[in-house]
Amino acid sequence: MAEDDSIFDPSAMKKKKKKKKTGFDIDAALGDGGNEASETTESSQTGGDKENQEPSKFDDFDGDLDLDSKKKKKKKKTLNLDELESALPDAGSGGGGAPGDGEGGDDFDDTFDLDMDFSKAKKKKKKQKANLEELVAEDDSKKTEDKDTVGEDESLSWLGSDRDYTYDELLTRVFDIMRDKNPDMVAGKKQKFIMRPPQVVRIGTKKTSFANFEEICKTLHRLPKHLLDFLLAELGTSGSVDGNHQLIIKGRFQQKQIENVLRRYIKEYVTCHTCRSPETILQKDTRLFFLQCETCGSRCSVASIKSGFQAVTGKRAAIRAKTA
Amino acid sequence: MSGSIQNLNTFDPFADAIKGADDDVQDGLVHIRIQQRNGRKTLTTVQGLSADYDLKKIVRACKKEFACNGTVIEHPEYGEVLQLQGDQRENICQWLTKTGLAKPDQLKVHGF
Repeated sequence: MAEDDSIFDPSAMKKKKKKKKTGFDIDAALGDGGNEASETTESSQTGGDKENQEPSKFDDFDGDLDLDSKKKKKKKKTLNLDELESALPDAGSGGGGAPGDGEGGDDFDDTFDLDMDFSKAKKKKKKQKANLEELVAEDDSKKTEDKDTVGEDESLSWLGSDRDYTYDELLTRVFDIMRDKNPDMVAGKKQKFIMRPPQVVRIGTKKTSFANFEEICKTLHRLPKHLLDFLLAELGTSGSVDGNHQLIIKGRFQQKQIENVLRRYIKEYVTCHTCRSPETILQKDTRLFFLQCETCGSRCSVASIKSGFQAVTGKRAAIRAKTA
Repeated sequence: MSGSIQNLNTFDPFADAIKGADDDVQDGLVHIRIQQRNGRKTLTTVQGLSADYDLKKIVRACKKEFACNGTVIEHPEYGEVLQLQGDQRENICQWLTKTGLAKPDQLKVHGF
């Protein structure tokens, strides 16, 4: 069932996760950088705030990283400050307030620049540490962080300075560029494959109507005949499309059951077997159906629809009367 | 010496085929379908079991196991087909895998 679900909105979840991960990774990596810088500062933290004013004292590398983090901090100040205030005691809960941070951030910026930087650095470290440790960070904090980090400020932070760029910065940069250039890229956001649920109504006691049959065929870009064949073969009944373009099936079926069958149809005949994209064309080629993917270009044959063995369920006398 | 080096071993490309033939009788998919009868009654049909199996014995075991009636139907196109009363799809899937008559990936369940 879970698999089927994923098919209904193919890979949407995965993509999201992936995206988040990149953001998260970057963050974590930055955290790494920050940590190295911060270890020094942290140790000094007990001593006092003086040291952090000149982090470049320690050595070049540390200085660089610190610079970097400072820059970031400045750029992100509004958010970070707020987080800092709320999150200093506990790193995880930091996601909180995007809205109210503006004023406080500015104030701090002007007056306590150095101090703030330091504390921020501390906080950052803490946060990152928490992230690293937990790896499954809270959604909120992640989201806010993502928003900040995935932006250009991160990836371009080394543009002004002549320090070496880190791998993760380059990675963000290239991903940003890729996303900019082709918005509907595979790794980018992908539109979900949303379908309306089938409207299934009972007609009397023995028949079922599938009211939006035609509409679903259209959303799937499949011929009604093909879907009809599949449905009837799977359900092992007979049925037909009536004047109002609704499908009348013999037998009692619930919406849930029809949904199940539709899911199976989509899995087999709509989504690409290679990339799971729903943009496919079903072609008939020498008695075989082929599924051609519009996204990845793969082409594969799909099983033909066979109803297989059908047991006699009606009245035998009636069948005999018909044949004889 | 040559035995220890993998690349020098002689390799029988048909080893799998020979082995597969005798230890796995079932080939192809087993289709398990459900059909509605009158009211809320249903029938389960099992099509595609290997002809090497004694379907009569299988149906006897199934009837006892699932406490339902059942029969073997000869079909000109599909061969012998098991037919069981009621919705036995879950039962028959589990039973076929448990007894080793078919592998789980050889079972194909149809219907709602």
